[in-house]
Amino acid sequence: MAARSSLLFRWGLTALSLAAGAAVWEIVGRRTGAAFMAPLSETLTRLWELTRSGELLRALGSSLGLFAAGFALSVVLGVPFGLLLARVRLLRIALEPYITVMNATPMAALIPFILSMLGFGFAPKMLVVFLFAVFPILYNTVEGARSIRPELIEVARSFRSSESALWRDLLLPFVLPFALTGIRQAIGRALVGMVAAEFFLSASGIGMLIQSGAQNFDTAAVFAAILLITLLGVGLMELGAAIEARYAAWRNVRR
Amino acid sequence: MTTQSGAEALTARNGALSPLAVRLLAGIVLLAIWELGVRAWAPAYVARPTGVAAVLWSVATSRQFLIAAGATLTAVLEGLAIALVAGIATGIAMGRSLAVDRLIRYYVFALFAMPMVAVLPLITLWFGYTGGARLATTVFAAYFSIVLNAADGARAVPAEYLEVSRSFRAPRWRVLLDCVLPSSLPYLLAGVRLGAARALIGAVLAEFFISVPGLGTYILTNSRSFHHNEAIVAVLVLAGSGVGFDALVNWATRRYLPWYRRDEKPQ
Repeated sequence: MAARSSLLFRWGLTALSLAAGAAVWEIVGRRTGAAFMAPLSETLTRLWELTRSGELLRALGSSLGLFAAGFALSVVLGVPFGLLLARVRLLRIALEPYITVMNATPMAALIPFILSMLGFGFAPKMLVVFLFAVFPILYNTVEGARSIRPELIEVARSFRSSESALWRDLLLPFVLPFALTGIRQAIGRALVGMVAAEFFLSASGIGMLIQSGAQNFDTAAVFAAILLITLLGVGLMELGAAIEARYAAWRNVRR
Repeated sequence: MTTQSGAEALTARNGALSPLAVRLLAGIVLLAIWELGVRAWAPAYVARPTGVAAVLWSVATSRQFLIAAGATLTAVLEGLAIALVAGIATGIAMGRSLAVDRLIRYYVFALFAMPMVAVLPLITLWFGYTGGARLATTVFAAYFSIVLNAADGARAVPAEYLEVSRSFRAPRWRVLLDCVLPSSLPYLLAGVRLGAARALIGAVLAEFFISVPGLGTYILTNSRSFHHNEAIVAVLVLAGSGVGFDALVNWATRRYLPWYRRDEKPQ
């Protein structure tokens, strides 16, 4: 009985929270100027219009394409390079501090250089997403590499383990969970990179939708686009967390 | 001792280079690759190490640059301070009260997952093209990661501590101050670290957008006029602040929270 009432309590509060949020959004939107903030109802109407006209889907498709290209590149280059660092200690020791520095550097600062050197095409925007995403992946993978105890490699060697067995049974299981943590962190950064590239390089996708809405004082469109990108962010982050939980379950068991 | 650990750290037969020497060598190699790569393939205006070194002193001592650096870093620190105070309050309320948690968790998580650069047009609409807009961006960027981590920390308070304080009839605020806050400190520091990184990115992007004096604006105007070497100096300051802040938080964790084993899963 206690369980049931607590369940009721939980869902009741959730419903209350959503209703209150919607009400606040609506009331504040109505009380302030139309160009200042759009109420929920207008935002949803605009969202529906933009969906029906196909504008929203085109923007979403373009943004997702940019995200996927840059993110895939950072995974495809970042994870194998991280694994290489796990295997070759000298390389890891040499590059570790530079990866840490790059990970802590706000990559946003490089956007103007990319703009003036590479211009407005798709490739420079992809590069921005890549730069935002690759360093969390490398940083975490290197941390995984550091967590491999040298004795384990020595033991494997003394038992004449082949190189492929070493990778399969030692390096991958150790490094992969860390790489997945990096990939999860990279999702958020890549999203920021995506919107930043769409804002500051050539306008496209959801970024363009937001910017043109703001320029035309079409605040409802701005809110609609932000709502969409928030849903996208939540979805992608949940996906990253789910993948991490599924394939990196043993990491938290250790120690 | 250094040669000993250095020889151990290297794969066998590599002589007695210490890790520090390896890293310095790697740095020199990386700089050389950058320098030669730019000389070979890139136009003359593109930044390269010797070019940056040549302008480093004059840029770093120029009034305009110092004002820019001061403005950006002040905004980041102010934003971080505001986000910290507000974030701790919100986060601990979320972590200690199921009702509060249920009421706001979706909003906090959604706003955490939303790329903050997306709201820049709205922020300029609300705050105008001013330093206030930049400050708001840094607060917004840092706040939600601090809230989430503070809430995790407040949830992770060992139940025994709370039981003991209850058996001694400790008043609620004392429990908060003496139990909940100290034991969630490591989480908080992790949140601050993440928040600081996000605030730094937020400040730079906000400056691209509103062009108030700052490092982001400095980079933008100099790279537009093809003074890439000068602009790189600003990037170096940003990188230095990012690294410096990380190091500061790590140091504080080790120095003041030595009982805390490194958490494996920061938010």
